[in-house]
Amino acid sequence: MAEKDFTLEKITGDLTHHIRLNKGFLAWMGFLTISLLVCLYAYSLQLKNGLGVAGIRDYVSWGMYLSNFVFFVASSLIGMLISAFLGLIGMKWITPLTRIAETIAVAFAAVAGLVIVSDMGRPERLANVFIYARFQSPILWDVTVITTYFVLSLLLLFLPMIADLAIIQRKVTTLPAWLRTVYKVLSLNYRDTPEQNRIIHRSIRILLILIIPAALSIHTVTSWLFAVTSRAGWDSTIFGPYFVSGAFVAGTAAVILAMFFFRKNYKLSDYLTDLHFNNMGKVLATVSLVYLYFNLNEFLVPGYKLKRADAVHLHELLAGKDALLFWFVQIGGLLLPILFMLFRRFRKPVPITIIAVAVLIAAWFKRYLIVIPTQEHPFLPIQHIPENFLHYTPTLTETLISIAPFLLVLIIITLILKFFPVIPLQETAKEKGVEPFIFD
Amino acid sequence: MRKRNLFIVLTGLTLSFPFMGMSQTWDVPADQKEVVAPFKFTPGIQKQGEQIYSKNCHSCHGNPGKNDWAKLTPPPGDLSAVKAQQQTDGEWFYKITTGKAPMPEFRNVLSEDERWWVVAFLRSFNPGYIQPEPVAKKVFTGRVVTLNLTFDSTQKQVIVKAYDMLQDKRKAPAAGVEVELLVKRYFGNLTMGSPVTTNTQGIAKFTFPGDLPAQRDGFSELVARVLDPKGLMQTTPDTLRIAAGKSNDQPSLLETRAWWSVRSKAPVWIILTYTLSVLIVWGFIIYILLSMVKIYKSGKLK
Repeated sequence: MAEKDFTLEKITGDLTHHIRLNKGFLAWMGFLTISLLVCLYAYSLQLKNGLGVAGIRDYVSWGMYLSNFVFFVASSLIGMLISAFLGLIGMKWITPLTRIAETIAVAFAAVAGLVIVSDMGRPERLANVFIYARFQSPILWDVTVITTYFVLSLLLLFLPMIADLAIIQRKVTTLPAWLRTVYKVLSLNYRDTPEQNRIIHRSIRILLILIIPAALSIHTVTSWLFAVTSRAGWDSTIFGPYFVSGAFVAGTAAVILAMFFFRKNYKLSDYLTDLHFNNMGKVLATVSLVYLYFNLNEFLVPGYKLKRADAVHLHELLAGKDALLFWFVQIGGLLLPILFMLFRRFRKPVPITIIAVAVLIAAWFKRYLIVIPTQEHPFLPIQHIPENFLHYTPTLTETLISIAPFLLVLIIITLILKFFPVIPLQETAKEKGVEPFIFD
Repeated sequence: MRKRNLFIVLTGLTLSFPFMGMSQTWDVPADQKEVVAPFKFTPGIQKQGEQIYSKNCHSCHGNPGKNDWAKLTPPPGDLSAVKAQQQTDGEWFYKITTGKAPMPEFRNVLSEDERWWVVAFLRSFNPGYIQPEPVAKKVFTGRVVTLNLTFDSTQKQVIVKAYDMLQDKRKAPAAGVEVELLVKRYFGNLTMGSPVTTNTQGIAKFTFPGDLPAQRDGFSELVARVLDPKGLMQTTPDTLRIAAGKSNDQPSLLETRAWWSVRSKAPVWIILTYTLSVLIVWGFIIYILLSMVKIYKSGKLK
């Protein structure tokens, strides 16, 4: 039975009307492109003058670039949580969120690799990572799993969209001819035949299962880049799950933010309802609680033993130089959001989006606190070195280069969700029980 | 008016604050300024100084006259410049010896002669330089001790004999000298037991532990030296290579397959795990790509 008020025409219209070149879109893309060019100019300065234009020095050699990398890998994990994990255990309400989540996963995973290149002094030697790869090196594992996860996410974005592409090609008649040709090619001759549906269904099942270990691997291996050293703050056996749970927090917040934006701008409030925000609020609260639990382990246990290097590190974090940022991240990005999200009224679209923004900002600074303070306390005694080796301060050039990946992510998300339906068309139609599309 | 003056002074102070670190002077004690080299700065000496300079000084100060010093704060500056060359030899020698952060001290890195060679090298960039008359070092009048190491393989004892070198070049057994024995290890030297004070015959005995791992060739390298923390003596250590110690037949850490080794010596299980995982996952990816071809073909209208 069709849900009240939903017809095939309404669903098709609502979910595809944004596929057009409007002024707002062009202005937004123009803004992103110009900003990206400014950031690329900053990168050209780094290429010309070397990594010295950034604030990184001999002691803190992993600065904002690496915090950024961890943040990008973390945010990309959400695709797995929504589509695979919640989908495989049979949550039906996630249908309108899957494409947003997969798009975020694809965008962040694609850019994560570029972020690493920004930290390389000689990027033209990138191929050496593969030519001289050692099977024993977590760096090779990281490059491998990120590439794999990106491809899996891209397929998981594309396969469920094949039917939608065929529908757009047939129904959205206002599009220019060349664009309809693109949709026709991408829709792979889809005609809703039982065989085609069987193949698509089986392929998606395989992907949903494969992407779980792949996603867990990318962030676990990223955490091992730190945890396989004996540095205070990194030398931890729970770094894998600590990173993974933190990734779910960042990714869920990113999805909520995207849901809010697309609901408002693409007028999708019939599909992204208060129920979805309420449920995503519950998901965010749950993963935040898990993350809080790992945080407790990560700080309380070394704090109880207080080995000398750990003592210096923990003191700087909890009461020293980094204390303000640390407590902002822990209280503003974790404790307060959890408290608020326990109440239903804070899981309404506007409050939960505000919470998601706070969580997302705190999530970036959390990565900063994981990467940088440890390096400011090297085991070797510091003697006769320039003052600027001791403390890390990001430069303007470095900041611009660090903003570039965010712009790229926004460009990718904007393009994908502009030219493809934000909400899965065919699946929504099926769930609402309206009559099926006719594919000639 | 007063307020305005105060404002100007404060502004001036604030603006000059960042430069204070740069303008800090490096005071050299007056008596040290007058110190002169113990030898003439010949071209040969200057050549030796150049080698020392390129190893120890060049990385920060760059090539004299080329203004290519490292970008540090305060700037290291060009040592061939007029301002640098206005300093006396003694001032330079003092600064090289003591250092002042971020410049390291070279007291324990370069010998006195080597430090003077560097001064000599830098003076070669100053055509107007006339060297003050050298003053030879004072002859040392304290105790001059040399050591002689022998090994008694039957008793497994290391015997250190200490001699006082007398003015007329004769040797006499040196009693009451504190001697320590060390054995060379891969990194640095390992002290063997406690230091021993020589007896009236100038002899100190150490028992060589039989279970001490020897080098790969079955030999152990010993070093004996005098402990003279106050620096009252001129001493010469002695070394000895003996066929003693537990023979070491452990394979080198780089011979077997291991985590830390190169790619060709990666543990088999890591290679297998990595390769299999990649093959399985990418096998599925290729399978899915082929499925997409199938979707395309089966959708063709006949």
